[in-house]
Amino acid sequence: MKIQTLLLLVGLLLPQLSVANGPPKEVNFPEGVSTERLGGDLWREVRQRDIQSSGISQVKGVESGVLINANGDLWARFRMQELTTYGGIAIAAIFAIIVLFYVVRGRVPIEGGLSGNMVRRFTDYERIVHWTLAIVFLFLATTGLILLFGRPLLLPLFGKEAFSLMASASKEGHNLFGPLFLVSLIMMLISFARRNIYERGDMTWLLRGGGLIGDGHASGGFFNMGEKTWYWMVILIGLVIAISGLILVSPNFGQGRTIMSLAHVIHTIGALILIAVSIGHMYLGSIGSEGALEGMKTGYVDINWADAHHDRWGKVCHEENLIISAEEYARLVGQRPATADEMATAEQGK
Amino acid sequence: MARMKFFCDAERCIECNACVTACKNEHEVPWGVNRRRVVTIKDGEVGERSLSVACMHCSDAPCATVCPVDCFYTTGDGIVLHDKDICIGCGYCFYACPFGAPQFPEEAAFASRGKMDKCTFCAGGPEDDHSSDEYKKYGRNRLSEGKLPLCAEMCSTKALLSGDADIISDIYRKRVINRGASAFNWGDSLKLGG
Repeated sequence: MKIQTLLLLVGLLLPQLSVANGPPKEVNFPEGVSTERLGGDLWREVRQRDIQSSGISQVKGVESGVLINANGDLWARFRMQELTTYGGIAIAAIFAIIVLFYVVRGRVPIEGGLSGNMVRRFTDYERIVHWTLAIVFLFLATTGLILLFGRPLLLPLFGKEAFSLMASASKEGHNLFGPLFLVSLIMMLISFARRNIYERGDMTWLLRGGGLIGDGHASGGFFNMGEKTWYWMVILIGLVIAISGLILVSPNFGQGRTIMSLAHVIHTIGALILIAVSIGHMYLGSIGSEGALEGMKTGYVDINWADAHHDRWGKVCHEENLIISAEEYARLVGQRPATADEMATAEQGK
Repeated sequence: MARMKFFCDAERCIECNACVTACKNEHEVPWGVNRRRVVTIKDGEVGERSLSVACMHCSDAPCATVCPVDCFYTTGDGIVLHDKDICIGCGYCFYACPFGAPQFPEEAAFASRGKMDKCTFCAGGPEDDHSSDEYKKYGRNRLSEGKLPLCAEMCSTKALLSGDADIISDIYRKRVINRGASAFNWGDSLKLGG
């Protein structure tokens, strides 16, 4: 009986053999075998992964002396269960909320309609900075989402060969344009930081729900409190994503699996947060709010839009006489002058 | 069907690294890639032990679980292989594998990863057996010739064993018993008057 128990334990102690052995054979076991565990501690440590870097190997490489690294298992569970499940839910939920909001509130119109008189909001350089960051962000988000959700969503549709091509292009593109995100982020930080510093009145904006809830517009400066918060989210989370991305993209600075998988966790959580909020930003900047896209499209916004959404800035524009007439605006953006019919339509709008 | 496994006997491994060299030579593995490595614990101290490690061909392989393009497959012999035409070189398997088996050739600037390379249990890949494509991507396919992995076959102390799990565990069980050891002190049996 004792021998059988011992033999069973031999089988159980072989970590590299997963298949159960057949019934143990009868053998003559020497008398007086010591059961003292001199090496026991060593192997227990190896199996419990407490001595990760104490081994050595003639094969040179990061962590080549590590026999077992169990962090990979933690990471795999995070990547395959938590990340895909909750990440997917988060993105889907944001879409649902926006669709619901659009159905309930519709497009937020400008009070008093368009005046035709414009005011300069962004310089050409600022718009280039914004759209560079936006395009790089959208590209990285798309390629990142393909890699994150591709296996459950796209692979069954396209098959392994086609999806592998798509994923390979995504990975190479993501790695190649990733550093550009950091560059455009720094440009964004330099050119927009001053106007995004929180100031008096921002709290009121927050308390009024940014004008999304209830009637009327919440008071705002050049940027309102929501835009400022989005800006600082982009800058701070963006920097975290960029740095963790650099740790992941070039594996030749001695960073091991633990650091890289940790960087991956931070990278993906940060990216999903930014993607989710960016969907809201894109909605409010386009179909969600009349006249908002003009600012980033042409650099000019309607003075009525400025008064409605950024009243404190609109007031400054009135005081400093920065308003440009419709004809002047048409000349500035290189359009033909408005025809009489169009003028009449604009008049009616007033 | 057999269930193929490697097993390395720490009482016999003398850290000669012949398995590493044989593997590199047999498969003409790219520069910087080692499908197998020998790890020595407590080097130069009492109780020093060495183990030869490569892909363990796990039953529930974490690499296959995390692969974003699903390029891994398990053969009828329980060998975990991957398709290099599908692999995109993302490195996820490298994060997930506890044994550090997946290897990546440095392909371009900043050590960006090429397609993953790992131990194939000398069983090649999805290409036709003995085709030049298979050899180029995965190395020699010894299993289809009825031979076992070279690393274990040429191990001078027979520390590294490969083959069907049942047979290997039988061999190891006999060894343990003949050493006069108990199962409780794996790793120290030689010191106990055996």
